[in-house]
Amino acid sequence: MIKTIAKPAEKKVTACGECRSTCQSACKTSCTVGNQSCERITREEKIERK
Amino acid sequence: MYLYAPFFAVIMLSWGGLIPKKLTRMIHVFSYRDKNYIYDVGSGSLHECDKATADFLKAKEEGQDVDITYITDEQMREILADVDGLKEQGLLFKEEVSSYPMKSSEVKALCIHICHDCNFRCRYCFADEGAYHSKRESMSFETAKAAVDFLIENSGKRKVLEMDFFGGEPLMNFDVLKKTVYYAKEAAAKAGKKFLFTTTTNALLLSDEVIQFFNEEMENVVLSLDGRKEVHDAIRKSINGKGTFDLIIDKIKKFISLRGDKSYYVRGTFTAKNLDFAKDVLFIADQGVDSISMEPVVTEIEDLQITDEHLPIIEKEYENLCDEYLKRHAEGKGFNFFHFNVDLEGGPCLSKRVSACGAGNEYFSVAPNGDLYPCHQFVGDSSFRMGSVTEGIVRTDIREQFKESCLFTRKKCGDCFAKFICSGGCNANNYHYNGDINDPYEVTCGMMKKRIECGMHILAEKKLLQNDKKI
Repeated sequence: MIKTIAKPAEKKVTACGECRSTCQSACKTSCTVGNQSCERITREEKIERK
Repeated sequence: MYLYAPFFAVIMLSWGGLIPKKLTRMIHVFSYRDKNYIYDVGSGSLHECDKATADFLKAKEEGQDVDITYITDEQMREILADVDGLKEQGLLFKEEVSSYPMKSSEVKALCIHICHDCNFRCRYCFADEGAYHSKRESMSFETAKAAVDFLIENSGKRKVLEMDFFGGEPLMNFDVLKKTVYYAKEAAAKAGKKFLFTTTTNALLLSDEVIQFFNEEMENVVLSLDGRKEVHDAIRKSINGKGTFDLIIDKIKKFISLRGDKSYYVRGTFTAKNLDFAKDVLFIADQGVDSISMEPVVTEIEDLQITDEHLPIIEKEYENLCDEYLKRHAEGKGFNFFHFNVDLEGGPCLSKRVSACGAGNEYFSVAPNGDLYPCHQFVGDSSFRMGSVTEGIVRTDIREQFKESCLFTRKKCGDCFAKFICSGGCNANNYHYNGDINDPYEVTCGMMKKRIECGMHILAEKKLLQNDKKI
């Protein structure tokens, strides 16, 4: 049995540069890009929720 | 159809074409407590599976001696059918991307060292207790303005720019910090851009005035607290050598109570002295903090340094934290732990995953005298001085070196499942531990991989909880 938990959302735009600089998120020592979310997707989801 | 073929034929088909040869490059099969997961590196998808499937896939990985003789013919047929279905959807054994999209050379963010002095004397401080191996000094407003102008002028088409105030202790130069924010906002408005500001502080000077200013102007605030009083006080001392926990805890609580829904992190550092750091994270959460980060120390001080012999203990501790994190989440008392955030659905695009933090190319640190460095961890090292905010980037060779540095220039990362999540580690850590920004430090990698596995398990468990609530 294999059940899919998560798969990446399709991105309409890539390399837009809107995401925050990784080092400014929380730690400044072991920041990870995968800890972040895509700013565009997050913003679009917020608009959709409204 | 092979599904109806005898078992022998099924296996031949699976080895003959269904499953690609380089299994270890393609998937990561891992178990967490009683759950089994498959992470597909190429597609970035996460799947949960039963033990038989996990064991079958583990057995196909190099060096994994896993007993699969217990798997029945029927189970094997189901496993292969599932694998085949997901492969067709591009969610399993997807070919990994191996080319690199060119990076922009627009500057996006600056780390402003507004003050190279500190009112704390923390033993583990990478910044030489605020002085960065140089004289203690503060940035002038003129230099800060030049930094703002440099960023705007070099930001190309980017609309959103970032500036984080760092030290030393930034609040020791609060007046200039405040004036810089107002100047940057005005300059950005004229240029049709917008600034997002962050400040990192030890919280000692967190007055009502500062809190109000932060809540009005700071997109994010990072407050340093190591956890339990005895842990914090053992390292984070005042100038007169006394512990600082009692001086800051109420200020941090007040700040949080007034922060509303704006972003902040209470950020701690753990060392070899507190490998039971999960207790510190939970202690911080118990103080009413719902956004926490806890980082492994970066130091060469012998009794504090994290080494490979600590790794098994640290991995176990992340699991302890993960269990309690999920328990509290289920009880409605959840908090956000930065390193357990793994956004597989709405995460960064490939360009970001490959190019990582952007230090030395789209992100720089500015020393109090205006000198530019690739990031805060290189400040004070003259061999990494790239220019200044007034003269611009002079050492284009350093910029090229950082611009070219990416996931694909880090050879050790080739076979690592975490590569598209961690992007090959921190340039500065790689350089300071291994002498090369492209040579990841294995101890950091070990911690990173465990945190990612915990994050993936959390993602799966939270989904389960959400579905239960819907039912």
